[in-house]
Formats: sequence, C-alpha cells, structure tokens
Amino acid sequence: MKMFKSLLVSTALAITAVPALAQDLTTVNMINPLPRSTNFFPLVVAEALGYFAAEGVEVNLLPSDTSIPYVAFVQNGQADLAMLDPVETVNARLAGANINTVFEVMQNAPEAIGVLDSSAYDSVDDLAGTTVGLVSDRDRAFLQASLDVVGKSIDDVQTVVLGESGPTLAAAIRDGEVSAISGAAPDWIALNANGINVRLITPQEMLSSPANTFAVNADMIEEKRAAIEGFLRAWNKGMYVAKVNPEMVAQALRLGVPAEWENEAAGQLFLDMSIGMNVSTTERLGDLQSDVWTALQPRLLSSGAIPELVDVGTFLNDTYIAAANDFDRAVVEAEAAAWLAANQ
Amino acid sequence: MADVVTQMAATGGKSLRQRQNATHIGIFLTLILLWELGALMGWLDPLFFPAPSAILTSFWRIYFAQGNIWYHLYVSLGLVFAGFTAGSILGIGLGAVVGMNGLVRRFLQPYVIVLEATPRIAVAPLLIAALGFGATSKIAIIMLVCFFAPFINTLSGVINVDRDRMELMRSLGASKLQVLRKLVLPEAVPVIMAGERLALTSALSGVLVAEFIQRDQGIGTLILTYTRNLNMASAFACILTLTLIGFLIFKGMEKLDHHIAYWKNEAGLRRVGAKRAQAWATAQRGQSNA
Repeated sequence: MKMFKSLLVSTALAITAVPALAQDLTTVNMINPLPRSTNFFPLVVAEALGYFAAEGVEVNLLPSDTSIPYVAFVQNGQADLAMLDPVETVNARLAGANINTVFEVMQNAPEAIGVLDSSAYDSVDDLAGTTVGLVSDRDRAFLQASLDVVGKSIDDVQTVVLGESGPTLAAAIRDGEVSAISGAAPDWIALNANGINVRLITPQEMLSSPANTFAVNADMIEEKRAAIEGFLRAWNKGMYVAKVNPEMVAQALRLGVPAEWENEAAGQLFLDMSIGMNVSTTERLGDLQSDVWTALQPRLLSSGAIPELVDVGTFLNDTYIAAANDFDRAVVEAEAAAWLAANQ
Repeated sequence: MADVVTQMAATGGKSLRQRQNATHIGIFLTLILLWELGALMGWLDPLFFPAPSAILTSFWRIYFAQGNIWYHLYVSLGLVFAGFTAGSILGIGLGAVVGMNGLVRRFLQPYVIVLEATPRIAVAPLLIAALGFGATSKIAIIMLVCFFAPFINTLSGVINVDRDRMELMRSLGASKLQVLRKLVLPEAVPVIMAGERLALTSALSGVLVAEFIQRDQGIGTLILTYTRNLNMASAFACILTLTLIGFLIFKGMEKLDHHIAYWKNEAGLRRVGAKRAQAWATAQRGQSNA
C-alpha cells in the first residue's frame, strides 16, 4: 500500500512537473548539508503543496559534505543560496566574500553539546581534560564558543572528529571513548530513538544563535529578486504549515523522505525537534536578528572561531523578508488541510 | 567401455559438485544462524551487526513495501556505467598510445606516476568545485577511479608483447596496423580485460565517494541517511545490494573476458573453432552447389 502511495505521489509530482516546466520555471540552486530531510521540512512541505512551482521557481538542491566550500559556490554563481552558520558567514566576509545573509532558516541553534544521560557531566565546564567528539569540523567552532562561555578554551579539551556515521557516534559516546559530542539535532535524535539517551549541556547563551542562514551573492540581489523572493515565500508557507497542521507535515515527510520514517517514533521525534528549530520566533518569518548576531560575535572572537568582529550592517540584508512574508495564512491552512485529506 | 568410463566420470564430477555446493550452503546457513543467535542473545553489537532477520525485513521494505531503493539504484548504476565507460576509453586509449610510442611514454610517465600516487578520494571535493554540481562531476570522480587499472594494464600489455614475434612480423613487411591487430591486441587483450574487471568493481567505490560528498541522490546518499538515523538493518540491506551487484559485475566481466579473449581458454577455442569450421563447411557447400 505504501509503495502504491509512493508511486501515486511520484506520478502526481511528475504530472504536475510537466506543466510547471512548460511555465518556464526559474531554477534556484541551493547548497546545504543534507538531501531532502525532516530537518528542513519547509522545503518538503512546500514542494508537496506545489508552492515553489506556483512561485515560478524550481528548486535544485545541492546537498554536499561540509568539506565543500559553500561560499565559493555562491560567488562563482553555481549556487544562488547557501546555508551557512554564523562562523562561516563572518569568516567569509572577513575573507572578502561579497555575500549577504538574507534569511534565518533556524533561529534556535540546532547545534548542541550532548553527554550520555547517565554520565556525571553537568555542564561544559566539566568537560575540561576530557576528549570531546566532533561530528564534523564545523562543530569545533561551536564547541570553542561554548567553552568560552564558561571561561574555558578549546585547549582545555582534546577533540576528535568522529564523522557523521551514526554507529561511530553512538559507539563513541556509549562506550565512553568521548565524554561529549558537539553536533546537531539529527545526531541526538538518532541516538535517543535507539535507546542511547543523551542529555544536552549546551550553555544557555549559545541556544539563541541563528543557524543555517541563507546567504546570497550581494551582486545578484536585484537580478535574482523575483526568484529568491518566491523561493523564500514558498519556504515560509511550508514553515507556517507546521504551526497550524503538523500532521500534514508528518504525512508529507512520510511520503517524501520515507527513509527517515521507517521507524515512526524516530521520525516523529525528529519532526518535533525540527519544528522547534525551523519555526521562526521573530514576528516576520525568517527575519534577521541583528542584535543576536552582534551579541554572538564577541563570544566567537574570544573563542578564536573568528579573527575579528564584523559590523552586522555590512552583511545582514532583510531586503527579501517583507515579500517572503506576504502570503495569506488562511489560504495556506486550507490548502494544507485539503492535501492531508487527499493523501491520508 | 570408454563411454561408460566417461559417463561415470561425468556422474562422479556432478555429484562431487553437488556435494561441494551443499557444503557451501551449509556453512553459509550455519554462519547466518550463529549471527542471528548472537544478535538475539545480545552477544553482537546491534550498532554494527543487526540481526539477519532484521536485514531481511529491511530488504522487503526498501524493495517492495516502500520501494524507495529502486530510484537510487538506477541513479547510481547509471553513474557507474558512465564513469566506467569514460575511464576505460581514456585509460585504454592513452595506455595504447603511451605503450606504442617511446617518446610519448618518456614525457607522460612522470605525470601518470604522480597522478596515480595522488589519493583520488582527496581530489573528489576539488573536482566538484571545479566541475560544479551534478552528474558531470560525479562521473569525473568515477572516471578518475576507473582510469588507472585499464591504463596500467593496457600499457603493460602493449609493452610486454613478444619482441621476437614483433621483429618477425616487421621483417615480413607487416604494417603498423597489422602488427597492432594481429599481435599487440591479441596479446594485450587478456591483461586489458583484467584491468577492466578491476575498474568496474572500483567504479562502485567511486560512486559511493561521489555520493557521500554530493548527497542529492543515489545509493550512497541512502546509506548515509540510514546510518545517520542508526537504521543499520536498512543500511546493511543497501550495502549487501552493492556487494551483490559487485559480484554480478565481476562474474559478468569474467564471462565477457572469456568471450573476447577466447584463445586464452580451452572452451573458448573449441567454441570459436567449431563456429569457424561450421562457417567453412557452409561456404564449401555453397561453392560445390554453385
């Protein structure tokens, strides 16, 4: 039955794609770390509801390992949007990259530092002298900044990059090879869903850090305005559905990313956590919080993650935000409900 | 009497083969049973060794109930064959040119040695950066992985041609093309085919590397998704699928090798000999009828 449903959805997508192609869609190339995933559900939901095509946009996802220099792809035009974290953004600006941050995908950091629930570590302070695992090299900066909050430095701990392989992470923390892991939400979800209970000890100060923000080439802002505004509006509609109809989001993900929903409980846990991270806390969805960026930078500086401070006014640019929020909430609610009724 | 002996030998050979097959199956089933028992009793870490029954269930789910593996397999195998074909053409072509021309060999050899010594996986992100996203850069990665085995084998096959026979052919006035067709290729083909076998199986590793870096689609991306979610049974099902494909590819290439380089094995010679004899007989009949 599930296979039949998947086929039905694929066929429906294929059929709707044909007239969409005929409409001459503008491709928006977006580079990020994951393929279509519960972690970025607004994309999957907006695609299921046909919001990108309705905006005249076709999303070309370029999910890549973090060893790929995302900023370079924005600069050479291969990517229109890149998902960057604050450290990458500031360092790119300092390196002379002409990029602007135009949208905050996650306003609550998905990054965190987790320890085994049964362990004696209660705060990041307790990690001094131990070995901390990093999911990727990107997580070093977050660990640095978190240690800095409690007056410690990265030199007070040993670090080891464990990689993104679930079993390696799980075995390392379960068997005590590392005291903690600095990683992101999907890593904790997989561990918890598989009976390895992890407790997060991330300093409070680090929780409000924006993450996975969309950066664009500043020179292309006007040229790409229509396509990117359409893209962000569709994204926001997908995000909004989670506020009013989370069951529709769950069903779209069950059909769109079945590999993450083979274990229903794990899929639901992943979604619950992802909703918390993806739904904006600002009044305008995806809005840029210059005060948060300003407050964050001194911590990144003292931890050594960035070499100097950058005036946030030089790279935060909310030029697309108003248009991205310009949609009728009631219509989205009705469309989501109708989709769920047709696809349950 | 001779017929009886032959028949007995054939029957004996058959039953020996059956006994051997039964032994193989017995050992395999015992290992699986022990694995299942180990998983059930908690002796094996489920993070690394999910129970065979769970893997079997996952096979059912990803192939039939959900059917989500088909598309990824289609994408990955398409890339494997495109990268393999490109790498082989380049490897064999360049290997032949370098092997047959001393001057080219002298100039190209240092670069080839440096390239071969460079870990291909480390170059993969650079290739993506240079060629951009999409199938092109993935095919380039696979091509790079596939290039060296055909290149080195073609080179060694061409260089190691029997010099005396080559001198003889030249002294008899054979053209370069004739030397290539009648001597070099027949001697080099078995070695080239061995390189092709290696290249095609390494193409599977190449596609995984490419998909681990560019994670949009393909079996590598699916494995990453499953391992990230600690769904090890499904990850194993994907890995075993690749193992099976690798095995089938290897066996297929072996068969192709026997077919192309028929003069290197008894059965091939008999097959081609019989075919030629039949063609000759048909031609003779045609002539006498005329």
